[in-house]
Amino acid sequence: MSSPAPAGPAPGEGEDEAGGTVELSFPVRPDLVFLARMTGTAVASRAGFGIDQVEDLRLAIDELCLTVTGGGEDGRRRLRLSFEWGDHAIRVHGRLEAPAGDGATPAATPETEIEATSTELSERILDALVDEHGSEHVDGVTRAWMVVRRRHRP
Amino acid sequence: MTTEADFTLTPGEERGVPVVTVGGEVDLATAPRLAEHLEGLGESGATTVVVDLTEVRFVDSTALGVLVAAMKRLRAGGGDLRLVVTEPHLAKVFSITGLDDVFAIYPTTADAVSA
Repeated sequence: MSSPAPAGPAPGEGEDEAGGTVELSFPVRPDLVFLARMTGTAVASRAGFGIDQVEDLRLAIDELCLTVTGGGEDGRRRLRLSFEWGDHAIRVHGRLEAPAGDGATPAATPETEIEATSTELSERILDALVDEHGSEHVDGVTRAWMVVRRRHRP
Repeated sequence: MTTEADFTLTPGEERGVPVVTVGGEVDLATAPRLAEHLEGLGESGATTVVVDLTEVRFVDSTALGVLVAAMKRLRAGGGDLRLVVTEPHLAKVFSITGLDDVFAIYPTTADAVSA
């Protein structure tokens, strides 16, 4: 017999109606990406998202980080993320910051078959889990963004 | 680091089939360890491998890419990579990426080994 899913707050319960913005910045290192997921979880809770959608958001934020960094490691550069919540939605923006005097960073391109596969899968994941997303590489800076609107239970 | 501490990989074998039990979070930081282990199994002559993801709480596209690459290598040699997935959120990730139609996915390790 299957047990019921753990009870959690219903979507909208405990929502911080005023909204807000949280910024996070950390060196581009794979072992630090979990900080983005943790922050996303906290923000989603403040925004009144339900447990299932929080799980989706964690994965989507991870994929957004991969979009911006290309999955590489460069401790001189930093990944800066902003999480905005309000109007029953969360908007996440990410971009790479280089040290002053550093040249432009080329757009990340997959170098191995695994990276190419992962990039394609990442796109599918974002398409499925968020309401809007996009990325651009302008003047040597890669930026990515996404919008997730809170779902209501039927 | 939390991520590394949360990742576990336990090699095993059932009825002659290598079974890799993975737990925790498989992401950009930890997926290379899974990739290295699966490559090692292939190099040691394994044709069919079971990866038990029952205890995995999180996978991202990097982890999925590693599994796809291992599956292609094993199938090219006449074998396969069989997965054990029970957690609904994990199953959803395979579904939204279309990989549930690509991988052989089973509810238990015993089912995967005997398939």
